Amino acid sequence: MTRFDAIVIGAGVNGLVAAALLARRGKKVCLIEAARHAGGMAGLRPGEGPALAHLVHNLSPAVRRDLGLGRDWPFALTPLATVALAEDGRHVVVDGPNAKLADGTAHPFAAAHAALTERLTRYGALLRNMAETAPPGGGMSGIAMMRQGLRFARTGLSLRAMGKPEMRRFLQVLLSNAYDLILDEMSDGPLAGLWTADAVRGAALGPRSPGTVFSLIYRMGHGGIVSRPEGGMEAVIAALEEAGRKAGCTLRTDTRVARILTEGDRVTGVATEAGEILSAQVVLSSAAPLTTARLTGLDHFDIEATRRLRNLRARGTVAKVNLKLARAPALPGVDLASARMVFAPSAEYVETAFNPSKYGEMSEAPVIEAVMPDPGAASPWLSLLVQYAPADLDGGWTAAARDRLAQIATRTLARALPDLPGLVTSAEVMTPDQIGAATGGPGGHWHQAELTFDQMLTLRPGNGMGHYAFGPSGLYLCGAATHPGGDVMGLSGRNAALRALEDRA
Amino acid sequence: MSVMTDPKVGLIPGPVHDRLAALSRSQAWYGWAGYVAPSHLDSMEFEYFALRNQASLFDVSPMHKYRITGPGALAMLNRMVTRDVAKLRAGRVGYTLWCDEEGMVIDDGTLFRLGEDDWRLCCQEPMLDWLMEAAWGFDAKVTDESHDIAGLSLQGPCAFAILEAAGLDVGHLKPFDLAEIEPGLTVSRTGFTGDLGYELWTAWDAAPALWDRLWEAGRHHGLRAIGYDALNLARIEAGFLTAGVDFQPVLSVERLHRGLTPFELNLGHMVHFDKGHFNGRRALIRARNTPRSLLMRLDVEGFKPAPGALIYHRKKREIGHLSSGIWSPTAKCNIALAHVRMPYAAQRPANLWAEIYTLEEGRWATRMVRLTPVKGPFFAPPRAKATPPARL
Repeated sequence: MTRFDAIVIGAGVNGLVAAALLARRGKKVCLIEAARHAGGMAGLRPGEGPALAHLVHNLSPAVRRDLGLGRDWPFALTPLATVALAEDGRHVVVDGPNAKLADGTAHPFAAAHAALTERLTRYGALLRNMAETAPPGGGMSGIAMMRQGLRFARTGLSLRAMGKPEMRRFLQVLLSNAYDLILDEMSDGPLAGLWTADAVRGAALGPRSPGTVFSLIYRMGHGGIVSRPEGGMEAVIAALEEAGRKAGCTLRTDTRVARILTEGDRVTGVATEAGEILSAQVVLSSAAPLTTARLTGLDHFDIEATRRLRNLRARGTVAKVNLKLARAPALPGVDLASARMVFAPSAEYVETAFNPSKYGEMSEAPVIEAVMPDPGAASPWLSLLVQYAPADLDGGWTAAARDRLAQIATRTLARALPDLPGLVTSAEVMTPDQIGAATGGPGGHWHQAELTFDQMLTLRPGNGMGHYAFGPSGLYLCGAATHPGGDVMGLSGRNAALRALEDRA
Repeated sequence: MSVMTDPKVGLIPGPVHDRLAALSRSQAWYGWAGYVAPSHLDSMEFEYFALRNQASLFDVSPMHKYRITGPGALAMLNRMVTRDVAKLRAGRVGYTLWCDEEGMVIDDGTLFRLGEDDWRLCCQEPMLDWLMEAAWGFDAKVTDESHDIAGLSLQGPCAFAILEAAGLDVGHLKPFDLAEIEPGLTVSRTGFTGDLGYELWTAWDAAPALWDRLWEAGRHHGLRAIGYDALNLARIEAGFLTAGVDFQPVLSVERLHRGLTPFELNLGHMVHFDKGHFNGRRALIRARNTPRSLLMRLDVEGFKPAPGALIYHRKKREIGHLSSGIWSPTAKCNIALAHVRMPYAAQRPANLWAEIYTLEEGRWATRMVRLTPVKGPFFAPPRAKATPPARL
């Protein structure tokens, strides 16, 4: 039997952050990972090509600070412009608040775009404030409660500081859908398509679904700037891993947890599938909530809790497609090497792409985000996120279905990049069912639970479980299913670790 | 959670309705879980005295009955109910409660351990959806037997003699024992009267024959068919609670904070914290020492039964109400079950008063009467527990 202060299950982004943070606060931590490498869903690779997550836009500076990584991340982050691809060649190049056409001329809605960016970024800062702390309530100590109270008071004050009309506008749009919000500001086209695509990425939602403004604002938490980690997601994972190692955290890969052990409604450690007992008073699990509950034993949870857990909505809709290219594609007037490409020629297109997924079918004309993680390579990879490719595809994700998805993706991108099909030498596909099978993430959903209002804040992952503590004393959830969610933020892991420390203080 | 009766169907007859209808002189019927059930067949008093002095027969078939089977049944039930049912051997019956995640009582009932992995739960509220939720993830199967199993409750000092006369040997059954006395006929020494008594469980279609058999055997023992009103007197004397009257089943209330914990119902001894986790355990640990109110048994001054009367401290501060109240013919006093807010419920000497309205030939009057706390049931005859029981 090996004794630790805390055990963290799952070395994905959140597990890595939680383990490193606890270790830095002087705890003896063991981080257990079933796979051979750390990285979880973000670092999951379909084969030789880039990992599932290819960009970061919300990696939290709060995480960096708490992990003692200094003023900058130990890997280079290259901010990318975004090219909203157009079939007629009138691509839109978006760089933060600036939007112009690829030929250098002004975009007719450049002013609206700038105003919208500024406004949503302002709202995003408000939500970020909430994301960086545990949801309100949950019986914490006096000091923590005060600190949290201050944070929410500050959120409230900044809300008030916006002025009454602006506050009213904020509350008005917060619950509404991205489609209406965006098309109030501009007519439909590639720029509107880009906005709505960003609002629904990763979700089983379309731009007209309620709550998509919220997810859009969430993504704007750090200004909406997307950055490419140089060295790929592997560099991000390695940095988090290194932070843990430096703090003395033990990482055990290739180790599966068979059971989370309890005694008298307290966690006592975990038993591995190899039969080893690792003991600890605190166990944080970044596995999905229901998986964690099963590992602990359902009889340790209330009936209402298991009902909520099994009714969590988590239906992945995004597939990863890596295309190996003979050479980098080119677009006149656009530097594709330092750009994110989005094929979503209109908001209408995005909504239409969503429709088949409701019925268990893949989009024939999907929304695609494409990036070259290593544009300097002689034959670079083009890394695609293809939406919508529902986890529960009718007839299942057979090899033929995956091939078809790769063809659809290539054919779709070719509508804007005509020379692309000729450049593709090979393709790798990873569908949500495979993502789910490889990581245990339900439905291969990258938030473990859909980020909608009924599964958010104190209701995330479910009512009565919104404060990381989960069932027996000493057990915590620290994965993307907890507040504030996934998207390579690391905040779920950080908040959960802070909560666990707070409870033991 | 009252049962919605389809207005087009109306109330439907229970398994022995023909027998009851033939006996009913008062034609006083009410709806019980969708079935026609007698309030009384003759008069409440007549039936009550038969229950306490001879024997009574009451059809309990409308009760909800659920069968829980499978290797995971014990674990599933122990996670659902508050008492440790692992201690309940096969062939035993246990009274139990179950709570929601906040520790508020959902319902109470009797749990029959028919075999090692074979259980039956009898309760007042429809509970199928809750049981299905509770069974999810456990190797246990839940079946609604409400309309397949009939139950006849034979209660009173002559109950044993009647069963003997009917050729049923139950002399070895101690209180809360159960046994399959004949193929297809299970008898449990249980009841809702606090008296000597048995409940007989058989297939729905076999109930009329069983009724006739008991009726014939009871001919010389003064056996009477009774309705709910007489039973209600007996259960209040015994101090038993009725769901929807003495507590509000928390899954069916719409207003906030109408639920009560077992501690607030004076049923803390039914909560076994040492058995491992069960539904609401964490909330109940927090709530165990801070009841908001207590269920009290009270002797009400005077003779006017006062269910619903408000309770005052020092005749001034309103602090609770009486949920059940009757004139007890056996205890010869005016008794009540009441909910009284803390800390007044625990104060001794108590300074509790009830405001009672009286109607005397067209004239309403109000009166403050003193309430005296009573420990234990109002009536608990030794015959209820004696084994072997008296033949009388």
